[in-house]
Amino acid sequence: MGTSHTVKYAYIVARVRAMKGKLIPKDMFPKFINMEIPEITRFIGESEYKKDVDELGKKYKGTDLFEHALNQNLALTYRKLMEVSQDEANYLITEYLRYWDIWNIKTIIRGKFSGASEEEILEDVVSAGQLRYRDLTEFIKIQTVEGVIAALAKTPYYPALVGYKGVLADIENSLDKLYYSGLVEAGIASKDKYFSKFLRTEIDLKNLKTLFRMKRAGLEREEIQKLLIPGGMELKASDLSRLSSLPFPEFVRALEEFSYWEAIRDISNDMNSLTNIETRLDKYGILYACRISYYYPLSILPVLDYIVSKKIEVDNLRMIVRGKETKLSEDTIKSHLVM
Amino acid sequence: MVLDAGMIAIGAGIAVGLCGIGAGMGEQAIGAAAVGAMAEDEKFFGKGLLMTVIPESIAIFGLVVALILLFVFNA
Repeated sequence: MGTSHTVKYAYIVARVRAMKGKLIPKDMFPKFINMEIPEITRFIGESEYKKDVDELGKKYKGTDLFEHALNQNLALTYRKLMEVSQDEANYLITEYLRYWDIWNIKTIIRGKFSGASEEEILEDVVSAGQLRYRDLTEFIKIQTVEGVIAALAKTPYYPALVGYKGVLADIENSLDKLYYSGLVEAGIASKDKYFSKFLRTEIDLKNLKTLFRMKRAGLEREEIQKLLIPGGMELKASDLSRLSSLPFPEFVRALEEFSYWEAIRDISNDMNSLTNIETRLDKYGILYACRISYYYPLSILPVLDYIVSKKIEVDNLRMIVRGKETKLSEDTIKSHLVM
Repeated sequence: MVLDAGMIAIGAGIAVGLCGIGAGMGEQAIGAAAVGAMAEDEKFFGKGLLMTVIPESIAIFGLVVALILLFVFNA
């Protein structure tokens, strides 16, 4: 590790550590559950989200204001990371944040497919990737899925979209695969072993979630295989093939040989709730990111840890407010939180 | 005698010079980290400044060695 490499990471790592210190403490989330929506909005309006809440306060009210403020803050925070990082760190952050381009494209296409209004689609868009907000608003104005795909012809995501034949799941799966293959290539190009380690674990967790969902839905091995992303850390191609062919109880038992079992061990007797499983896998992911960011402090890992933590914070806040809005019970909301 | 004095002066120069370079290399990363933390939160100014000057002690060691060379061995 050269001196200049250390210096560049020292700057961005110290900066994201300071930013992480400003995240909402974990013990606040159970308190939010006991608050009313206006109280939560007021609390958020006095925190790091103040600028966003003030700016959007004239345009939106209630949960819409909340939703837009969270999305804007998330996008601006991620954009800031891209602006304040240099060279390799900047390249890896930019590639990792392409997740939001994929997210936005999926959101717009799903919206167009289901006939959602422009405002409804805009509510879920987070312009934290390479596609700018004004580009996204232009895409949203297009009426058909085919039109949106044609408008994306000059973006790197077009190869995943070009085969659209009316089935959304196919292009969504292609987009995910395109994103992760791009990330794996970025990891290889940068020769950053820590980035690859983090990424491959993330691929494993994503594959596990897919396996649980598809097993529960009773899909056949071939269909499941098409949805899995190659390049995981522990779950190699042979493991994925074996796991996807097992019936659900055997599949759960087979997971005992992997380290991810620790994440779901306590609910091994009750695997009925996919939400419980996915929340635990997300929690494993966030703890893993945090742990390895301390093992290798002068690397890209603390930045990735912050990116994951910030997303979880926004997801938790959104979950609480949406849950309260739809009158979900406190226990149900709590079970969806990643803490 | 003149040669000895010259060698001592060169030794003192090397001691100060190398220690200065070492301190600079240490401060480079710490200074960058301090600026990064301060950019987010001004409260880190005090801690950042303190951490940044810690490698300066290496430069002081070099200076002490140089002074010993010049005033003790040269006497």
